[in-house]
Amino acid sequence: MEKYYKKWFKILNIPAAILFVVVILVPFIMGMAYSFTAWRGSYFKGSEHWYGALVGFKNYIKVFHSQKFITSFIYTIKFTIVAVVAKNIVSLGMALMVRKVGKGKGFFRTVFFFPNLLGGLAMGFIWSFIFQNVYSLMLFGEDSPIHIPFLCDMLQDPNKAVFAMAIMATWQTAGYLMLIYLNGLNNIPEDLYEAASIDGATAWQKFRHITVPMLMPAFTIVFFLTLSSSFKMLDENLALTGGDFGTRMLSLQILLTTRENTPPNYGMAQAQAVIFFILIAVVSIVQVIVTKRKEIEA
Amino acid sequence: MTANKRIKQGVMYAILILLSIYTLFPIYFLIVNSFKSQKEIVGSPISVPSSFDFSYLKNAAAQIRLGESVVNTLIITVVAVALIVVISSLTAWMMVRNKTKASSFLFLCFTAAMLIPFQSVMYPLVNLMEALGLKNTFGLILMYGGFGLSMTVFLYHGFFKSVPLSLEEAAVIDGANIFQLFFNVVFPLVKPITATVVITNAMWIWNDYLLPFLIIGNNDSKTLTLSLYYAKSLSGQYGNPWELIFPAVLICVIPILIVFIFLQKNIIEGIAAGAVKG
Repeated sequence: MEKYYKKWFKILNIPAAILFVVVILVPFIMGMAYSFTAWRGSYFKGSEHWYGALVGFKNYIKVFHSQKFITSFIYTIKFTIVAVVAKNIVSLGMALMVRKVGKGKGFFRTVFFFPNLLGGLAMGFIWSFIFQNVYSLMLFGEDSPIHIPFLCDMLQDPNKAVFAMAIMATWQTAGYLMLIYLNGLNNIPEDLYEAASIDGATAWQKFRHITVPMLMPAFTIVFFLTLSSSFKMLDENLALTGGDFGTRMLSLQILLTTRENTPPNYGMAQAQAVIFFILIAVVSIVQVIVTKRKEIEA
Repeated sequence: MTANKRIKQGVMYAILILLSIYTLFPIYFLIVNSFKSQKEIVGSPISVPSSFDFSYLKNAAAQIRLGESVVNTLIITVVAVALIVVISSLTAWMMVRNKTKASSFLFLCFTAAMLIPFQSVMYPLVNLMEALGLKNTFGLILMYGGFGLSMTVFLYHGFFKSVPLSLEEAAVIDGANIFQLFFNVVFPLVKPITATVVITNAMWIWNDYLLPFLIIGNNDSKTLTLSLYYAKSLSGQYGNPWELIFPAVLICVIPILIVFIFLQKNIIEGIAAGAVKG
């Protein structure tokens, strides 16, 4: 059998290998190289080839001196922290409750999951109206019974917009993350809790010393998903604020860099794209190593 | 104890029902406002429309060239998902069955590629595709195929490990060729993960904005999301045309809604299956 599989190994891997090389590997290497050149999109400044237009680290220096890049970098980190915390608390809370209720489990799973299927751009338009008109004027405005200034005009203020975007992102993804947590919870053997009860453990002690350690594999997945999706978020950012009022995140910054200079500075945009890749790779790897280590300890 | 438990259950139900209402509210909101005039939307956004006027939906359908956009999006999604499923499952299967260095290296490459965000390769990719004459629908499908690979290979790889080798040996002894072996024996055994793969990829491709924006832009053969984007940005110079946006978004959401209503059980189970192994 081994020989049989070996015979087919190369042939059956060819399609995947070709796609991988053309769509990911070659553009990735091109991107690395082009970030060191005076790339203008359709041509290279002063040369026919990329290697004739090398400018060293000039693009990177420009990026680190760009106020727009720095602002969007800090803003992305702020949003990622808020969104990861919000998504995890809400989805874990929902999972704990849905597991405990007697009837209607299927109903709640279906309802909470549904927004995950809808497009971020399309629903972002709707949410922008909800924040502007329903939140600001009807629910929490000056004339309404519960006046909460923080929830009014959230999209026009960078600090409030972080939370507005996090509210929408949580609404979208919490149901999906809840399914992962539910799976993890269902894998915890019931007799662990029974034994703890006999020993007189409180609900909090059970949660802290049984549920949390046993859920570590689920935490690894959920943290990986929420960290990278929050860091990379584009559609919701574009639809809710368009990046105005200092609310631009890194994905949008990379997209808009080529539109804000004439001639379009693709070299500088690509340098930001490379920095973006390094940030995501480092954060993801560190996170997986840390949570995996916790899994083993548990 | 029982009274205490009952109160606990009651509180949990109350919270979950409130959360359900909150979750479904934007959908309700989207539906009722798709039948209202601009004035009515802004004046009374939450109430049920005074009359169900379908003219706004008709107008929105014309603006986003509904028929054409739906067909384009459907073709791209179906072909790209089929491409991803067939290619990734074959590759993952071969990687599981060959325990060589080349095989582990290949798996490492695919897994590492999950860390590459689309934004960091998009500009060179568009350049390359233009040079290859693939800045069109066909190229778009190939690109989705490439970007869907990593995650899908990873998911299949985990599942094929649990397929018993003896089953495959028996099929080969019975004279099955490699494709019969794969599609008739192995592939049906990993149905749960195929469901996950189809749903997650279809969802992402159907709703994607950035890749069609870069490849197709404001030309013909737009996808649904792209048409929506241009319909909004081109008519929005004087404030937001809500009487166009609401029905246009509803039109984009309806196909998903219909699919979900019919397949909700499979979708939820498929996602849950992927969550265990992922």
